[in-house]
Amino acid sequence: MALLEIKNVSKFFGGLAANSDVSFSMDEGMIMGLIGPNGAGKTTLFNCITGYYPPSRGEIVFAGRRMNGLQPDRVCKLGMARTWQKVRPLAKLSVLDNVMVGALCRTNSLSQAQELAMEQIRVVKLDHKTAFPAGGLTIGERKKLEVARVLATQPKLLLLDEVMGGLNPAESEEIIRLILAIKQKGVTQMVIEHDMKAIMRISDRIVVLNSGEKLAEGTPEEIVANPEVVTAYLGSD
Amino acid sequence: MRRPPQIPGGESGRSRVGLVAMLLVLAGLYAFPSFVQSPYALHIMILLFLGTIMGESWNIIGGYTGQYSVGHAAYFGAGAYGTMILLQKWEIAPWKGVFAGIAAALVLSLVIGSICFRLRGPYFVLASIAVAEIVRLTALNLPNVTNGAEGILMSDLPPLSIGGRVVTDFVSKVPYYYIGLTLALFTILVTWLVQHSKLGYCFQAIREDQDAAHSLGINLSLYKNCALGISATLTSLAGSFYAIYIKFIDPTTVLALDLSVQIVLIAIIGGIGTIFGPVVGSLVLVPLAEALRSNIVAQWLINSGLVREDSGLGVFLKENLAHAHVLIYGILVVVVILFMPEGVLGYVRKLSARKKG
Repeated sequence: MALLEIKNVSKFFGGLAANSDVSFSMDEGMIMGLIGPNGAGKTTLFNCITGYYPPSRGEIVFAGRRMNGLQPDRVCKLGMARTWQKVRPLAKLSVLDNVMVGALCRTNSLSQAQELAMEQIRVVKLDHKTAFPAGGLTIGERKKLEVARVLATQPKLLLLDEVMGGLNPAESEEIIRLILAIKQKGVTQMVIEHDMKAIMRISDRIVVLNSGEKLAEGTPEEIVANPEVVTAYLGSD
Repeated sequence: MRRPPQIPGGESGRSRVGLVAMLLVLAGLYAFPSFVQSPYALHIMILLFLGTIMGESWNIIGGYTGQYSVGHAAYFGAGAYGTMILLQKWEIAPWKGVFAGIAAALVLSLVIGSICFRLRGPYFVLASIAVAEIVRLTALNLPNVTNGAEGILMSDLPPLSIGGRVVTDFVSKVPYYYIGLTLALFTILVTWLVQHSKLGYCFQAIREDQDAAHSLGINLSLYKNCALGISATLTSLAGSFYAIYIKFIDPTTVLALDLSVQIVLIAIIGGIGTIFGPVVGSLVLVPLAEALRSNIVAQWLINSGLVREDSGLGVFLKENLAHAHVLIYGILVVVVILFMPEGVLGYVRKLSARKKG
């Protein structure tokens, strides 16, 4: 059975359809790439899936459960966690405290939360900065912090919104390795990314959105060979 | 496992010194009335405790959770009226009436929370002011219950007795001193407990970024209401204490916007989101207000010979400085907010950190 099913999801803002009739499903353990030009509705879809917007139409089913109308905190508790395109560190709290906030989603004990948090901080290799206030981190470190923090909520499905945006090639490479390592642990991931090379390398399947609609879906090889996708990205002629 | 310090740099040695200093201060505070009998000195100390209780309670919702309520007079008034009404109408002793005050404040906080927490930022501030004003106007227009604008004057305070033995009859200010001190320590303890628990993490996460906190599994309305409930409970304690001490309450003193603003200022001036910030705020603001009100400043200027008493300026200061206390108070507040955005405590910490290198 699919872990996540998106069934005919539409989201309207007034007359504007940010998503219209999008359907696809994800199996456990896979990485799904979500790509599309700016304004294609990728982040809106994330927001619909994680409870920030109620979808106008359609259904989101996660692990056999209908998710429509659930608040983001419930969504997180049920095992679906997201990062933010524009990173949102809890600036005045230390790196450790940031990740502990995530870990406290699963435990009420601070010492247990600290252990869980340290584990994830080591995974993203921020252990030299644990006591540092998150507001003073570089953009690369903030992105890693964001990943450590959602990992600490122990998600079954992780939704990463442009975690490589604004990073230099070396930092991007680190994030790619991180995403693949997370996959190894059996966490399913949906990844929005603009870096085509990266998305082709990590994704098992890719969904292409354009003007809110699903344009294509397939393996990376199929997507590259799809003339419609090429047109959407490069323009016709 | 020991928690690493928030700010880089060793803290363990300093914290031991701090602990010893704190115990010394505590012992000094408990011994204070045996050395100082002056009722005025005791009165100032009691006002300091009251300020601390109010500042610490606001700090939970404003400083830790980042929800700037400017309507805390509503909870203060709930405590004051709850205690006073029960005492005057049914002769229920204040130490039982306090709990009625707490219950009233809690119910009020749930109502206010469920309305105002739909709003964010400045809109929340405005809504909190509006609701507190509604509470004030309601109290003003319910003379059967609250005695309206006339207020309630306490006619008789029964002695506090435990197991038949009279502990105190409340003739001097000393019992109030100890009650105030104990309540102030209690609110500091509650703040410490909050900061060192899951609640503290959730509150601060909400303060730093609501949406991020929400996405990390934090139920926003649950934790905001929880913070407001704790804050309202402690504020109502301050209100009950005030009512028993001053023995007179009316809507313009215990339910006024003035009071709400003052509660906020104690925390902001001292340093919000820290355990001892409100203590510092109270130490700054209470003596300041008192000095200006009692015209100590004009007296000092004259006595020190800076200004001659019979000169035009001397007469002017003597007659008018006391009236200008609100103005001077306001200017000082603006100066502190402009130059010490982290509050006095934050400013001192920054200075000492800079000295260390």
